[in-house]
Amino acid sequence: MKRYEKITKEIREVAKELLEKNEVEKVIGFGKGLILDEIGPIFISKPKDIKRLEFTPEAEMSLAKYLLNYKGRNVAIVAKPCDSRAIASYLSENLINRDEVKIIGINGCPGIEDNTACDECDIRNAVIADYYVGEKMTEEDIQKELKDKEDKIEKMSPQERMEYFRSEFERCTRCYACREACFICYCEECFTDSNQPNWIKESVSLNDNFTYHIMRAMHMAGRCVNCGACEMACPEGIDVRALEAKMVRVADELFDYRAGVDPKQKTLLAEYDVNDSEKGFMD
Amino acid sequence: MSDTQEFEPKIAAFLCTWCSYAAADLAGSGRIQYPPNIRVMRVPCTGRMDPFLIIKAFNMGADGILVSGCHPGDCHYLDGNLYARRRFVMLNELLQYAGVKDNRLNFTWCSASEGKRFAQVVKTTVKRVKEVGPWQGFDGQGFSKKEGELAGEKV
Repeated sequence: MKRYEKITKEIREVAKELLEKNEVEKVIGFGKGLILDEIGPIFISKPKDIKRLEFTPEAEMSLAKYLLNYKGRNVAIVAKPCDSRAIASYLSENLINRDEVKIIGINGCPGIEDNTACDECDIRNAVIADYYVGEKMTEEDIQKELKDKEDKIEKMSPQERMEYFRSEFERCTRCYACREACFICYCEECFTDSNQPNWIKESVSLNDNFTYHIMRAMHMAGRCVNCGACEMACPEGIDVRALEAKMVRVADELFDYRAGVDPKQKTLLAEYDVNDSEKGFMD
Repeated sequence: MSDTQEFEPKIAAFLCTWCSYAAADLAGSGRIQYPPNIRVMRVPCTGRMDPFLIIKAFNMGADGILVSGCHPGDCHYLDGNLYARRRFVMLNELLQYAGVKDNRLNFTWCSASEGKRFAQVVKTTVKRVKEVGPWQGFDGQGFSKKEGELAGEKV
């Protein structure tokens, strides 16, 4: 708990300074909402309110998506390492202007409760920030806390894998909570909402559930930072991150590519190399 | 389909208009025989291939997919097939992970002068798809078996 308290204290200091100097209009951070007693996104614009800012193990959502609503205005944002990768992705996709955003990056992120993605996380320091809070973790510390989790799906036969995903996606009601939680799903019109062509029907259909999850993973390919927000958002507890996490691993293995580590890099599928892998191609 | 008949797969073939489509043409005018299992769809470039088209074909009852484009470096639009290559590698890995057998997805390069090779590609594809049997859909419920059409979508 000490790490969380230290980070909370430092966030408040930075936020106070920024608001008092009038450098930013708003600070986007985590805190208790006005009605519910849960940690959620809060938007602070007066220095007297900074006591509401908090960082706790329940600060699960990705705040980066709010930056898109504040384009053209000066805001500061509290960014966990995965959120800072999200912001780096936004910069590489030219969605936000760097000089409008002040990033309060969390170094040595202590992790989020119940988020399985945190067990696999090996980027625990903010990749891009104006102000750093917390203590920077060294490579050794990160390796020590990394839980060696074997992927049980990888070991199954194709038939078993299909059965597994059927039993998972069967429960999907296509509420699109995973889409809304994901920072990369920012399209103004999602393919799921498109009527012409109508890729996915509104009716209950396992085929369409598969189509949705596979196409979502395909759109995430080389852009997903494996933050686990989709999985946390799912009301049915579906393993929605499995396909995306696979794409992250493939991008790393075959193309030596990691999303959101450099604001200048292009996304994986927007680039090519003449000597790219042809794994799975016919001779 | 009765059990005595051999399983004849329906394969959705997406062919690049500048090379593989012409190769299919060449195979035809050269009287080179290849199995009639493919349903050819002409695309302007493999770079145009949205992964959606492949998923859609599976959802409409195609047992296998064949995507054929120009050899790397020969693209009519200079680099369309190079973008497509990455996309296919990712899609292939993803679908295999989701449990679709490797044999159903076939990607290859075939230039306009390779009529013979095109016939060979089709033969190999049909053989590979026959090995894994009929596609039962992502939901495992199968498709109606009416002749002469890719099975319609179930409601």
